[in-house]
Amino acid sequence: MSWTAQRQRGGGWLGVMAAIALGMGWHLAQALLYPITLVYLASSPPRMRRASRHYLARALGREPRLRDLWRLYFTFAATLLDRAYLLTGRTAGYAITIEGLDAMRQHALAGRGCILLGAHFGSFDALRSIGGADAPVEIRILMHRHMADAAHALFNALDPSRARDIISLGNPAAMIEASECLARGGVIGILGDRAPRGERMLSVPFLGREAPFPGGPLQLAAILGAPVLLCFGTWLGPRRYALRFEPFAERVTLDRAAREAALGEWLARYAVRLEAMCRAHPFNWFNFYDFWQEEQPA
Amino acid sequence: MTVHDSQELEGEMAELIVASLRLEVAPSAIDPEAPLFGDGLGLDSIDALEIALAISKRYGFQLRSDDEHNHNIFANLRALAAHVEKHRAR
Repeated sequence: MSWTAQRQRGGGWLGVMAAIALGMGWHLAQALLYPITLVYLASSPPRMRRASRHYLARALGREPRLRDLWRLYFTFAATLLDRAYLLTGRTAGYAITIEGLDAMRQHALAGRGCILLGAHFGSFDALRSIGGADAPVEIRILMHRHMADAAHALFNALDPSRARDIISLGNPAAMIEASECLARGGVIGILGDRAPRGERMLSVPFLGREAPFPGGPLQLAAILGAPVLLCFGTWLGPRRYALRFEPFAERVTLDRAAREAALGEWLARYAVRLEAMCRAHPFNWFNFYDFWQEEQPA
Repeated sequence: MTVHDSQELEGEMAELIVASLRLEVAPSAIDPEAPLFGDGLGLDSIDALEIALAISKRYGFQLRSDDEHNHNIFANLRALAAHVEKHRAR
């Protein structure tokens, strides 16, 4: 099964979690995470569990046990539940520590836009909490079409006024929209560890073996000359997140003559940081497919 | 605008697209009615941004993301050229 299909599966679960969260409130929803994780884990296709085991073995540096698999899926379910709250800025009741906000504030104060490069790691939506941390900037997130559709459905249920925060990559004008936001001094969030089908991928070392990463996000930064910060919202426990911003590049330059090689070097730097985060917080990385392309195509 | 003029602009823009995206096709090989994105030439939204920047430099106007006609404008080279003809400042 391709990750495109798996992503839709995640999108469906997002709707279920949002409905539960809305209908019953956070505490009951949190209690339901246990049976939900059990059902999700038990019903997940063998390929998906195999992919998760491969990842965990790399991140943990040992053979994963069923318990590890459980923690990975549970953390994923917990972040989905929180998504309904975080994505819509309902951060009351959450304990979110923020590290490195100054780096971002500098850009905001200078009226310069910046790109926040994240990953399918923890909850990127935790960055919504900076809205309450004295950083009143326009934040928009670039998403692949399927996730954008799921997020739109969520917004329409919770907070229609936020629907325009999402830029869907399904639209040719998506990057033009992103560039307009940056020109206004806004912030563009992108997850850099997955690509829609057909995007140009470059292989760089990640957790001990080459894996394909999309070149698009850093290409966007290079074309627009926008500074790039890394952003990770690590799930630490129920309603506890550590949000972290790290300066990554003042300016991404891609030598015209050796574009691919230069892009590969930037991606390798990103992969090094992502790898360190995965080793430190192994149950926070959510790519439930054959990321290293280790399996033969069926 | 005569048919000749519009063909000339299409040719000029085909060159602009090939040059700014460093495509490995001859500008004359781009079918003006073939889709630019997805199938056809297979461009993506990053390419659209590069095209938009190249157009603004060359023709002195901005393609905007909130243009309700974007879907048509980016449909193919002919539509894009027609849009440029209508809005160009130089």
